[in-house]
Amino acid sequence: MTARFRLSGRAVRPDAPASRFLVTPVTDTDTSLMDKAAAKAVRATPAPLAFRVRGLSDRSIAWLFITPTIALLLAINIFPLIWAVYLSFTNFRANRPNAEINGVGLTNYQRVLNDPDIWQAMQTTAHFVFWTILLQMLIGFALAYLIDRKFRGHAFWTTVILIPMMLSPAVVGNFWRFLYQPQIGLFNYIYSFFTGVPPSSFEMLGSVALSPWAIIIVDTWMWTPYVMLICLAGLRSIPDYIYEAAEVDRASAWRQFWSITVPMALPFIMLAVLFRAIENFKMFDMVVLLTGGGPGSTTEVASITLKREAFESWRTGRASAFAIILFVAVFGLANIYVKALNKVKQR
Amino acid sequence: MAEVSLQNISKSFGDAQAVRNLTLTIRDGEFVVLLGPTGAGKTTTLRLIAGLERPDKGRVTIGGQDMAGAAPAGRDVAFVFQQYSLYPHLTVYENLAFPLRSPARRLGADEIDRRVREVAKMVRIDHKLENRSTRLSGGEMQRVAIGRALVRKPSIYLMDEPLSSLDAKLRGELRLELKRIQSELGSTLLYVTHDQIEAMTMADRIGILNDGELVQLGTPREIYSNPVNLHVAARLGQPHINLIPEGLVPGGRPPKGTKTIGARTEHLEIHAGNGTANAEIDWIEHLGDQSHLHMRIAGHKLVTLANPYVPVSPGDKIMLSLKDPLYFGGDGQRLV
Repeated sequence: MTARFRLSGRAVRPDAPASRFLVTPVTDTDTSLMDKAAAKAVRATPAPLAFRVRGLSDRSIAWLFITPTIALLLAINIFPLIWAVYLSFTNFRANRPNAEINGVGLTNYQRVLNDPDIWQAMQTTAHFVFWTILLQMLIGFALAYLIDRKFRGHAFWTTVILIPMMLSPAVVGNFWRFLYQPQIGLFNYIYSFFTGVPPSSFEMLGSVALSPWAIIIVDTWMWTPYVMLICLAGLRSIPDYIYEAAEVDRASAWRQFWSITVPMALPFIMLAVLFRAIENFKMFDMVVLLTGGGPGSTTEVASITLKREAFESWRTGRASAFAIILFVAVFGLANIYVKALNKVKQR
Repeated sequence: MAEVSLQNISKSFGDAQAVRNLTLTIRDGEFVVLLGPTGAGKTTTLRLIAGLERPDKGRVTIGGQDMAGAAPAGRDVAFVFQQYSLYPHLTVYENLAFPLRSPARRLGADEIDRRVREVAKMVRIDHKLENRSTRLSGGEMQRVAIGRALVRKPSIYLMDEPLSSLDAKLRGELRLELKRIQSELGSTLLYVTHDQIEAMTMADRIGILNDGELVQLGTPREIYSNPVNLHVAARLGQPHINLIPEGLVPGGRPPKGTKTIGARTEHLEIHAGNGTANAEIDWIEHLGDQSHLHMRIAGHKLVTLANPYVPVSPGDKIMLSLKDPLYFGGDGQRLV
C-alpha cells in the first residue's frame, strides 16, 4: 500500500503540497481515505502524457478514418433515400425540373397500391424470387454435399462450378439470349436432342408460358454456385468428430443427415436464402437483357416497372412512392428473417 | 457385454507408428485401464476397437466375432471422447437420448425418458437437462459425454480420458461412481488415462503403453510392485520412484549386471545419522497428512514420503539404506 502511495505522490505536481500532506499520515487501515487521496493524486496529474506523445487520441484517429466513408454514405445513400421520401409526396417530374412542385399528400401511394400493373409486377417478382431460391438452394446444397465428400479432384470441380458466378450479369444475359435462340440456340437444340421436339417449335424468351421460366433458369445457372459456396462453408464447419460420435451412437447415414448435417448447416443455408432473396427482389439487369420484361409484361419484375415509371413515364413522385414501398417491404421482411436467423444461430 | 480382444494390431499414420503389434484381451465384465504418456497410442487403440480407424495389420474381435469391415454402428460400442463431441445444436436431454433413438434399439418414449433421467442423475447433470449442450462448463460437458455412453448397454465402453477436465473433487467422486456403475452392471470397460491414480483405483488390470507398444499388463498391484522395466516403474508411484546408480546407497543385494536401482518410499530406510550419516535433508514439503522429504546423497537427489511428525528439519544428517529395492540392468529391464 505504501508503495502505491509513493507512486501517486510522485505524480502529484510539486506545487500541490496540500495533497502530499494529506497522503503521509494515512495508515493501511484507512482505506477509504487512502483511495480518495489516490484519486486526488491521479486527478492532479497533468493531462494524459501518452495522448500528447501520439498527438491524437485513439478516438480521434478512429473518427478520422471513418469520416470519408460516412460522408460518402450520407451523400450517396442516406440523402437520396430521404430525398426520395420527400419526392414521393409531391408531383415532381424529373423531365420538367423547372415546373412548380406541389405536395400531393398520400395520393402517389394510393395510386401505386391500386394499380393492377404494379400488382402484376409484384406477382412476377414473387414467382421469380420463389422459384430461383428453391431451385438454387436444392441444387446448391446438393452440389455442396457432393463436393464435401472430398473426392479426387474436388478442388478442380469447385472452381469449374464457380465460373458462372464470376461473369457479369450483362454478359450472362447476352449469352443466354443466343442460347435461347429458337433457330441457332444451343438450349433449344439440346432440349430437342433429348426429347425429339423440333428446336424451332418453341421460343423460351418469346412465349408467355416459358419466358418466366427462362429467366429462372438463367438466374439459377448463374447463382447456384454462390449458394453452393455458402452451403459448403456450412458443411465444412461441422467437425468430423460429431459424425464419429453419431456413428458410434449407431445413427444411420440418413439420420445423421437430418439430425446433424441439416440443423448444423441451417444458419448458413438461411443466410444464403437471405442474400439471394434480397438480390433477386431487385433483379433488373439480367432480365432487361434477356426479355426486357416481355413478351407483353410477363417477365416485368418490380424493378423494371419502377424504371419505366421513373424514366419512361417520368412520374418521379409516383416512382418514388413505389420505391419506398419496395424498400419498406424488403427491409421489414429482411429484419424479421434476420431475427429468425439469429434464433437458429443461437442454438 | 462381451469379451473384446485385439490380436497383433498395428496402425500407422504416415510415418508415425501409433500402435505396434498390440495384443490385448479385455475379459467380459473387466475394467482395463491403458496408462501411458501423450502419443503412446492409447486413443488410437480405442478408435481401432470402435472402428473409427482401420488397423493396418491384426484383428479385432468383439464377443468372439471378427470385426474386420464392420462399421462403428455395427460394433455396438459406446465411446466417451476426450473432446466430448456433444451435438452442439441439441439440448443435454436430446444429447443423452440420441443413442437411444437409434432404430437399432426400438425403445418406447417412456423407456427413453426413464433411462435419460436415471443416467442424468448418475452423472449429476439432471438440473441442466434443458440447457443447450454448448452452454455448459467443461466439466458439465464431460459429464454429459459420459452419460451419453452410460445410457446404452453396449458390448464395451471405451473411455478416452473422461475425467480429465473435471475439478479434483468431482473427479474423485466420479471415479468411485464409475467404478461402482461398472461393477454393478458388470460392464466391460476400456479406459484410457495418463493419471496413475485413476489407473490404480479403478482398474482390474492396467496396461502400460509406451510408443505404441504394450509394455506390461497386470493388476495394479503387480504393475506397482513388479514393474518389468524402468519405464513402467516410473509410471506409478507418488512421489516419483527414485532412480539411483548402483552402489550409491548401502543395503539390498543387487544381482549381477545391475546398473540402476529403483527405490520408492517403502524401499528406503532412514535412521538418525550418529556419526555414520551418508545423506542430508534438503527440504521438507508439508502436504498435511504426510510430508515429502527431499534428500541429497553424494550429489543425487531423492524424494520420499514421511510421517509429518518425524522430527527432522532441513540440514539434518541422516543415515539412508535400501530395503529390497528394484534392480534394473543396463537395458532398463528389471533384474530379479
